[in-house]
Amino acid sequence: MIRRTHPALSVWAWLVYAFLYLPIIVLVVFSFNDSRFGATWAGFTTKWYGVLFARTDVREALTNTLTVAVVSTLISTVLGTLVGLGLWRYTLRFRTALTGLLVLPIVIPDVVMGVSLLMFYAFVRSGLERLGWTFDNGFWTVLLAHVTFQISYVALTVRSRLAGYGPELEEAARDLGATGLRSFTHVVLPLALPGVLAGALLAFTLSLDDFVVTYFTSGSGFNTLPVLIYTNVKRGVTPDINALSALLVLVTVVAIVAANALLRPRRQP
Amino acid sequence: MKRAALSALLVPVLLSGCYRVEKPAATSGPVTAPITRGDGRTLRVFIWSEYIDPDLVTAFEKENGVRVVLDTFESNEAMLAKLQGGGAQYDIAVPSNYVVQTMVRAGLLQPLEKSRLPNLKNIAPGFLNAPYDPGNRYSVPYQYAATGLAYNRERYVPQDTWAEIFGPDDTRTFVLLDDPREVIGAALKYLGFSANTTDVAQLRQARDLLRGVVAKKGFQGFDGGPGTRNKLLARQIDLGQIYVGDLLIATEEDENVQVLLPRQGTTISMDTLVVLRRSPNPDLAHRFIDYLLDADNGAQLSNYTYYATPNAAAQPLLDDFLKDIPALNPPAAWLTDGRLDFIGELPTGRPQRLYDRIWTELKSR
Repeated sequence: MIRRTHPALSVWAWLVYAFLYLPIIVLVVFSFNDSRFGATWAGFTTKWYGVLFARTDVREALTNTLTVAVVSTLISTVLGTLVGLGLWRYTLRFRTALTGLLVLPIVIPDVVMGVSLLMFYAFVRSGLERLGWTFDNGFWTVLLAHVTFQISYVALTVRSRLAGYGPELEEAARDLGATGLRSFTHVVLPLALPGVLAGALLAFTLSLDDFVVTYFTSGSGFNTLPVLIYTNVKRGVTPDINALSALLVLVTVVAIVAANALLRPRRQP
Repeated sequence: MKRAALSALLVPVLLSGCYRVEKPAATSGPVTAPITRGDGRTLRVFIWSEYIDPDLVTAFEKENGVRVVLDTFESNEAMLAKLQGGGAQYDIAVPSNYVVQTMVRAGLLQPLEKSRLPNLKNIAPGFLNAPYDPGNRYSVPYQYAATGLAYNRERYVPQDTWAEIFGPDDTRTFVLLDDPREVIGAALKYLGFSANTTDVAQLRQARDLLRGVVAKKGFQGFDGGPGTRNKLLARQIDLGQIYVGDLLIATEEDENVQVLLPRQGTTISMDTLVVLRRSPNPDLAHRFIDYLLDADNGAQLSNYTYYATPNAAAQPLLDDFLKDIPALNPPAAWLTDGRLDFIGELPTGRPQRLYDRIWTELKSR
């Protein structure tokens, strides 16, 4: 018999959720506040959303954010899925070490990653300059930086999705006459797909939210929304930034909910 | 085979971000820029957010047929980190005065060509030749903020003295700025010392004073400008230490919030305009700086940001509202009688460690 949860426990759970989500709710509510400084409630307005969409820097940052997120998600999903499949399927000599390397970008502090990438790009640039070539940090450097941390997330979700299955499924398919490619597209990939999609959504969300790594790897004139928000907050939050944050929260929540739905194990008939 | 195909696919993608370096055109001045890709049409400025009137930028763009890209940073430290990484090519940056020497030592700046800055004459002599950049070799003053005492006059009107916070009275609620140099500096000014002192005995006195201050019932913690401003608008506190500009902007919403400068004197921090060593367009950078030093433009800047202008010629052109605020325009004599201290760079070693220790102790309470 499973006992129902003690009522005190559910009260506690609600308190924890309130603690986690009240600040975000306050932020969303205050994006409708008719006061420039947001300290006191001065009436309901949607004007900040209008102000927001009139800002060219915001529109530009939005385009940049989405472009980087989409492209980096595509690249990292393909590469990460291959890594995840490889780790699942083959017995490799340095498997533990490889898995460790894969976890590293997840546990390493963002700031270390950002600074090391900044230095890496500077190093590469100085090498190229000797050959008479150069590049500015911007879209490409940010894109590569995002791919580097996204791969890990995709690879790990794909691997854990497949963890329950042995290689015998693929062998059975081969026994029944499937070619390597066919067994991959008809057996392995469908099994891995929820993991792939969940990993992709996770990667997309991470790219959308990332500030630190983006700040260090972007160049002049290339801003993403998190960078724009963060650098604006220091001198005081203007309500249009509240509105922008509210929208960003909305997009993130939708992506996370979608990722959860995909990760839920589907019962095979 | 496949691997070769993959790399063949990837290489052009990665290289498409690269371009060939054009050999720098012979630039005048002592520093030859290591990299020049300036087409003279795009000026890149690294600046604090909401620190320049967009209309001024648009006017400059029209006048010169160029594009100005404004990127923002949120702290001097973050700006330094990014510039030192060499990733971004900016022409102009806007560091606070105490960072200028650090940037010079890091080789990030190029000396200014004064002949291209005729409007430099507009700057009040008191703000030129400051200790952070003797002879203004690398920087020109942009806008500055004195640190004052803010209050909401509907709730409480303080005297113009730091004793409101540092004195024995324990009935007022207050916040201090979340910045070691500002807090320790204010305590030092109250005690009659320089805000940049390296005298250990003076620093110990400040430490003992501050220990008592943060133990007061009314102490509501450390906060930044926006937080303090919001608490004053909401009438949650009696007093707050704040940058004058950060508070003045709130008078638009509630004219009862006010700020004053304590008579013992206070700290000021000057934000400066510098041309970066790797600037792709040093010519345009100088032109933009000179444009900002113009009297009309200088006034327009302050009318927009509510920060004080070091531009003497701009002073009479300020909005009446700003002209009437003493905290924004400290008496000229204060500049020379030692009452206004630029927050200066500290020599490394014992005094700096003492500043750090005092701050850590205060924050850990």
